[in-house]
Amino acid sequence: MPPLKLPIVDAAADGRPWRSLSERAQKPEPSRELSEQAPLETSRRGLLQMLGASAAFATLSGCLKQPAEKILPYTKQPPEVTPGIPSHYASASTLDGYATGILVTSNEGRPTKIDGNPEHPSARGAIGVLEQASLLSLYDPQRAKVFRYQNEPRSLHDFLAAAVANGRALESKQGQGLHFLMEPGSSPLVARLRERILERYPKAKFSSWSAIPLQQIHDGSALAFGSPYETRVDLSKASVVCSLDADLLSALPGTIAPMRQWSDKRVPKGEGADENQMARLYAVEANLTVTGMNADHRLRVKPSHIARFGLALLGRLAKQVPALSQYAPLAQKHELDATQARFADALAKDLVKAGRGALVAVGPRQPPALHAVAHAINSALHSDCASLSKPVLHDLDAGPRALRLLTEQMRAGAVDTLVITAWNPVYGAPFDLNFGKALSQVKTSIYRSLYEDETSVRAGWMLPALHPLEAWGDARAHDGTTTFVQPLINPLYGGMTEVEVLAAFLGEGDRSTYAMLRELWQSKSPKNFDLTWEKWLADGFIQGTATKPEQPQVKHDAVLAAANKLQFADAGFEINIIPDYRIWDGRFANNAWLQELPDPVTKTTWENHARISPTFAAKLGLDNGDLVDLSLRGPSARAPVVIEPGHADDCVTVTLGYGRNGPGEELARGLGFDTSTLRHTDDPWIAGELAVVPTRLSSPIAQTQEHHSMEGRLIAVSTQLKSLQATNAMLEEHRGTPLTYHSPVKYPGHRWGMSIDLSRCTGCNSCMIACQSENNIPVVGKDGVIRSREMHWLRVDRYFLGSETDPGVVFQPLMCVQCESAPCEYVCPVNATVHSDEGLNEMVYNRCVGTRYCSNNCPYKVRRFNFFNYTGNFSETEKMVFNPDVTVRARGVMEKCTYCVQRIERARIRTRVQGREMRDGDIATACQQACPADAIVFGDLNDEDSKVSRRNREERRYDLLHELGTRPRTGYLARVMNPNPELA
Amino acid sequence: MSALFKPSANTGFRIGIFAIALLLGGGLIAGPMIYVRTPFFTQQQDPIDQPVQFDHRHHVGDEGIDCRYCHYLVEKTQWAGVPPTSLCLNCHEQIWNKSPKLAPVRESYFADRPIVWNKVNKLPHFVYFNHSIHVKQGVGCVTCHGRIDEMPQVEKAQSLYMGWCLDCHRQPERFLRPREEITSMTWKPAGDQLQLGRTLKEQYHVQTRTSCTTCHR
Repeated sequence: MPPLKLPIVDAAADGRPWRSLSERAQKPEPSRELSEQAPLETSRRGLLQMLGASAAFATLSGCLKQPAEKILPYTKQPPEVTPGIPSHYASASTLDGYATGILVTSNEGRPTKIDGNPEHPSARGAIGVLEQASLLSLYDPQRAKVFRYQNEPRSLHDFLAAAVANGRALESKQGQGLHFLMEPGSSPLVARLRERILERYPKAKFSSWSAIPLQQIHDGSALAFGSPYETRVDLSKASVVCSLDADLLSALPGTIAPMRQWSDKRVPKGEGADENQMARLYAVEANLTVTGMNADHRLRVKPSHIARFGLALLGRLAKQVPALSQYAPLAQKHELDATQARFADALAKDLVKAGRGALVAVGPRQPPALHAVAHAINSALHSDCASLSKPVLHDLDAGPRALRLLTEQMRAGAVDTLVITAWNPVYGAPFDLNFGKALSQVKTSIYRSLYEDETSVRAGWMLPALHPLEAWGDARAHDGTTTFVQPLINPLYGGMTEVEVLAAFLGEGDRSTYAMLRELWQSKSPKNFDLTWEKWLADGFIQGTATKPEQPQVKHDAVLAAANKLQFADAGFEINIIPDYRIWDGRFANNAWLQELPDPVTKTTWENHARISPTFAAKLGLDNGDLVDLSLRGPSARAPVVIEPGHADDCVTVTLGYGRNGPGEELARGLGFDTSTLRHTDDPWIAGELAVVPTRLSSPIAQTQEHHSMEGRLIAVSTQLKSLQATNAMLEEHRGTPLTYHSPVKYPGHRWGMSIDLSRCTGCNSCMIACQSENNIPVVGKDGVIRSREMHWLRVDRYFLGSETDPGVVFQPLMCVQCESAPCEYVCPVNATVHSDEGLNEMVYNRCVGTRYCSNNCPYKVRRFNFFNYTGNFSETEKMVFNPDVTVRARGVMEKCTYCVQRIERARIRTRVQGREMRDGDIATACQQACPADAIVFGDLNDEDSKVSRRNREERRYDLLHELGTRPRTGYLARVMNPNPELA
Repeated sequence: MSALFKPSANTGFRIGIFAIALLLGGGLIAGPMIYVRTPFFTQQQDPIDQPVQFDHRHHVGDEGIDCRYCHYLVEKTQWAGVPPTSLCLNCHEQIWNKSPKLAPVRESYFADRPIVWNKVNKLPHFVYFNHSIHVKQGVGCVTCHGRIDEMPQVEKAQSLYMGWCLDCHRQPERFLRPREEITSMTWKPAGDQLQLGRTLKEQYHVQTRTSCTTCHR
């Protein structure tokens, strides 16, 4: 076969795409599936006997009559339920104090799917992985179910009685010694209760704790403006964005809204694109982030030097922007090496040129001074992309500083009653605080949590929490919009909301959260309340309650003073601690969907790793999977190494949330290593003087990276704006009808197709969880992933381009492309995979006998096989998560993406019963609905005006593995980068 | 001594062995095939006991209550809908409200416990049948469920095998009826069913499909 023309114009001389370092070094990894030894020690004769017997018994099973079944109708039909038609409720999912508007699907009273609320002004229907996967936690049988005191079971009534007695004692001393350690929050109802508690116990104290605090953001704005502000990023007006460790495109809390705006700025022309020039993204970071992987230019620097780069950038801008002139000395003070200087020069020039379209964004892990510097730059450039408004959180200081104050008081015996509603401070607190020991010394401690975890074993009272889908509440969204949380189901196990815990201290523990919530909002809007309330709950939020942007003045003297105070000593190896993309700070650790979701960067599952650069690995003589001991002023943590191309040298990145040993979280226990021993209060994120000791041991890594490799063919096309035309011409031969002697099949009715725009996709994985939830996809566990048996119908492939040290990255979501000439269909001996009259490649589970020929013959490797009965031992509670529209597959059956055929059929019947034809927009596949970047579009290719047809007509369109003649229905649009010519 | 069997006996023996093998083999294959098609196996014409002695003969036949009064979901969702207990009491609050036969119904209503009915028409769980679309497109109740108005205890009227489904999906004109006669138990086409069926198929835009995912997802 002649070599294919690879239209990957982005890369350097050796720019072939590669997915892992071993692939790049052309060192094939040994197949994990076929080891040298046969897996079964069965004789040939024995095997034949078993085959014969199982065939005979399988036939006999056909002779059984159908078992009897029961029908249980309602006794009184609830008016809001129509059995068989799912209802949708607007609610909210809160994380780190901010709400995301969600729309929950309920099938006869059981929530089965979480989507974004398309009406919500903050995110407009986009949603990330954490919010979607929280559905699985609702049905987790390992949730805390009983109230406990000193580890003995108690009742809610016992707790309320104890709280009243305790409250009475505290009241006599004005609440001296009463302390609340809360989850960061923005709930107006909680704010009201806090006020009332302070009225009753004037000396009571409140503070918040999160292992991922936003405190440095608030400190930075306080530095720049005199009082704290929050930045609301609006990328719809951006043209040049500089991210200093800010992960703006990762579908994590706060980044969902910017993602959609950004995707519209990354399409060169055609539908949905701005006529203006494409936006450009610069990223400066240590570890590879989703944002960094999408950047046109990425600079890797040691974590502590990101701030230094920021100051040098400000120094350069000072020469070009008169408003910043006083910062000019910073450029000389912080000299950069040649690469960095070139990057900073070009970036400074580009930012000035962009003017109002410029944005410098700083990540929450960076020092306050750098945040202040970014404010100075954005305000001097009159940026339209960053508006400032008053923070909505109750406690701005929710980090280690506040926790240290509390711990000191606890040690001194000044805390008599400690009420903890924050998530697991014993696990998350920095090592040097020894919060766990201090907690044991508190006379009365009360802890509310969804699971019995590290904190619950040390607290006196353990109160089970209600899942957000079981509870009422309110919160403010990222833009400040007041959003309501409403329950979809009665509490499965009983428990309390945060509001009810607070109310217990007001002697109102027997009042429901709903009553208090309604009362609060009635007092705020008494006129015509019933109607207003109904509307708010139906919408899920109150229109027009977003915080107003303000224009505070930057205090340049203070910013300069703070910038001058920053010290950058070279302190050996550095530790770089980051939140986990999947389990965040560890609160989602017991969620199997998230555990099995590959990390967008490393494609690892089920544990955390020490991520290091290829150079650093070579220096220490380490390979993937080797174990190292990491220590930093304390005990060491043993971590498996993952070599991450593009990582900064001489530093190690680790993610939070693993190494759990709570009694309740059985799924999470023993996975990964605990990073809290590496965290200290003075800087919980980045620190020097890390000791890295190789151990000569290694452990296998559950990575989906090397699986399903496409062997160097044209797969994900990435090009540059300037060479777009050439690429389009080159792609000409990778689309359209291939030459064939078969007469083409006609599809007169609907012709379903999909278009995936690689320019929009950021690789955030949101579609993967949406697919898993919609299609009842099981998880296989760490061992299963190591054996390449993961079941995801939709995967996001990640390809590296160029050098190991500074690679370019391109993402490609890939599910069954529904070939018109499907190779899987020819080889199935039992007709279990066939073509529909609308061109879908159908999978008939009941015909499948599991030969796996189809999977072998699939060039896209998108078919998945049930090696075991993964859902067979599900309890009745766990089964409630299943989508009733999709068959739950058994062992020995092949499965794959069906373009959400259940949604197609539901829409077809719905529209036909209404007496009309299906229109474009009647069907959205689960992945399309969840995609925050609008990268996936589904529709009818026979309809010339459908969105998918319009996208497919774009010049960037190509078919995957077109040369095989499979005629896939999914078309891809090439990714376009917009690099700065000066840096090319 | 002459041979006990003449040489021709060999041929007879061979034919005999062949015949027995054919019978046995054929029986092994054809037997189960016949067996699974018997009403005994498909549970057709097998009246099913129910917790309440509900008589469709009386309610449908004598009183002439439309099917859709109780099976209220049939035009909206995939299920025909087994009526909630409260629906029974719409009438039986007033009439026969002391009848001992209705004791389980009153008990269900006042204890708020559902009546546990036994399913008559069972489909395998990988079949996603939808009532609403069939009713909308002119498939009468009686076509699949039989003369309910003549059943003291409801029984399965058809095999509900896939082949039986496909009979109609391949040739819907053989079974279609006007929408207004959907629930009629006694409707007969005035003229030729095929001709009427074709007209209705045209008129209702009936597009029966036989692709697997039409019913299996």
